[in-house]
Amino acid sequence: MNESVVQLRGIAKTYHIGRDITVNALRGVDLDVRAGEFLAIMGPSGSGKSTLMNVLGCLDVADAGTYVLAGENVGKLSDDQLAAIRNKHVGFVFQTFNLLSRLNAIENVELPLIYGGDRRARRQRALAALEQVGLGDRIHHRPSELSGGQQQRVAIARALLNDPSMILADEPTGNLDSRSSAEILAIFQRLNETGKTVVMVTHEPDVAAHCKRIVRMRDGIVARDELVPHPRRAEDEIAAGIGAAE
Amino acid sequence: MKLYDSFRSALQSLVVNKLRSALTMLGVIIGVAAVIAMVSVGNGASASVQATILNLGSNLVTVQPQFGNDQGLKGAGTQAQNLTLDDMRSIQNQLGASIAATEAEQGTGRWQVTAAGQNWNTQVTGVTEDYPTVRDWKLDSGEFFTTSDLNLNAQVAILGTTTAQNLFGDGDAVGQTIQLRQVFGGDRSGGRARILNFRVVGVLTTKGSTFGFSRDDQILVPLTTAQHVLTGRLNIVNAIVIKATSSDTMDATTSDVNNILLQRHNISDPASADFTVTNQNDTLAALSSVTGTFTLLLGAIGGISLLVGGIGIMNIMLVSVNERTREIGIRKAVGARRGDILTQFLIEAVALTGLGGVLGILLGWAITEVVHRIPQAANLPLLITSGTVIIAVGVSVVIGIVFGLYPAMRAARLHPIEALRYE
Repeated sequence: MNESVVQLRGIAKTYHIGRDITVNALRGVDLDVRAGEFLAIMGPSGSGKSTLMNVLGCLDVADAGTYVLAGENVGKLSDDQLAAIRNKHVGFVFQTFNLLSRLNAIENVELPLIYGGDRRARRQRALAALEQVGLGDRIHHRPSELSGGQQQRVAIARALLNDPSMILADEPTGNLDSRSSAEILAIFQRLNETGKTVVMVTHEPDVAAHCKRIVRMRDGIVARDELVPHPRRAEDEIAAGIGAAE
Repeated sequence: MKLYDSFRSALQSLVVNKLRSALTMLGVIIGVAAVIAMVSVGNGASASVQATILNLGSNLVTVQPQFGNDQGLKGAGTQAQNLTLDDMRSIQNQLGASIAATEAEQGTGRWQVTAAGQNWNTQVTGVTEDYPTVRDWKLDSGEFFTTSDLNLNAQVAILGTTTAQNLFGDGDAVGQTIQLRQVFGGDRSGGRARILNFRVVGVLTTKGSTFGFSRDDQILVPLTTAQHVLTGRLNIVNAIVIKATSSDTMDATTSDVNNILLQRHNISDPASADFTVTNQNDTLAALSSVTGTFTLLLGAIGGISLLVGGIGIMNIMLVSVNERTREIGIRKAVGARRGDILTQFLIEAVALTGLGGVLGILLGWAITEVVHRIPQAANLPLLITSGTVIIAVGVSVVIGIVFGLYPAMRAARLHPIEALRYE
């Protein structure tokens, strides 16, 4: 079995809303993600999947439990140390793409290298990442000049740039039509085949069906954790002219 | 994060909001321009006043009679004495080479002057032979009168350029005769006129005016002639002026003069002296403290507009941080540290104020150029010193840092999740 990328043990997180209301978003989550996995985290609203995603992405720190990411215990790091971990180990893909509107495609892709990593050949590497997602001919377009699917592909290229330990996608197809969704999933599958670890949060079963493993959250704990025997192939669906998620 | 990247992203965001950046900068531009223009006007006024004082002659120590006492009994034991030509001669003899020169003066009032059919009215003053040296005033033509002219009460005259121009036009005044007339007793028609002939022996160079009074419209005659022929006030002078050898010896000269006169006037208590000795350095110091206060006041007015500009910067930076909360979230998600975000926004603020500062200097310079073209201010030297420029730019950069810091810190402290969720 491959080495462990993510190791969560007894992760708990409580939010305080106002003075009296406390929300136990996570109540003791144990989870292992190994290198090369393609994992879907599913669950209804309020199940804690967004909080889990934030903790996994080092955007937030758990109140209790240990989190080891790529061999580093990230439980007690400062904000700046977490920023460095995100820069090095996590590639984010968001539902709303989150590109900077005043930068063009290649400048958006370069962004992580501004804040860390190997600065040499920044432009070439960004170009290579854009070519990897099939946007080598759109590098000077601004986000407003790109379709939703193209914007999401720019976001994926950005996530790839620092060669992170894990790509963390939060509802990456939520704002896309079925054709574009299939294309994005095809890219994730292709990346996964080259050895990238992909963790995807989704509430759509059709999207999750493309993953190799599905973790279902309920009331702040892992309710079910199962392997997908025969993941659907997005490329086949595109070839057949069918969208991935209807 | 490299500084280059910070600069690039800061400038990019300024370029995106061109109008907003320009308007924000305007506050700083006006502030810096105000400081530059105001301080340069102040410096100019100060330099102008100094030049005016020095135009009267440099390194001067002036002795004048002390008029009037508060108490009638003061000095009752001694006969009130005036300054005399002998006082001046004795200063001249005793101080010798330790002073540059000295002269005594007596004003004789205004006289009607006629020559070559021209009529003019001007001030006539009796002076002694070293007047040109003491006053740093050369002759345009002719020769100044000498001690022998003084001994003879010679009726010779030196004309100012304006006086010469009015009496003789462009013709040569030297060698010509002028007539001084004064009307006695009642009105002009019934009065008896006294007419005195003077020979013009020299014409002074042009000197300009001091505090609004033209110094080129006057006639100088030998002091003794003024006393014996014009006024009848014998052996009285209105002022003795001593030129020290340098600015450094002025204090010593002042106290020497004081001692000589105290001794000559038989006064033991310096507090009851019947004369006052004024050191030109003291006058300059007093005036420069006045003009310095004036400059400071003008600078403060400019400084207030700069402060207002700075508050404008802070305001717009807070708006900018708010607007770009999502951008800050994205940058943090991909690995920006607090310091990176802080630097980015700080550089934005400093770029605004720094550029505003440079443009403000140009505007301030333009204003002083315009002021220079106003006829009333034509004589005012407007000084934009490198110090003023450095301070203005320095202050505007500091204002950028000070007023940009709070918004930048707010940006840096944003929590990435909340920033990303911000709509």
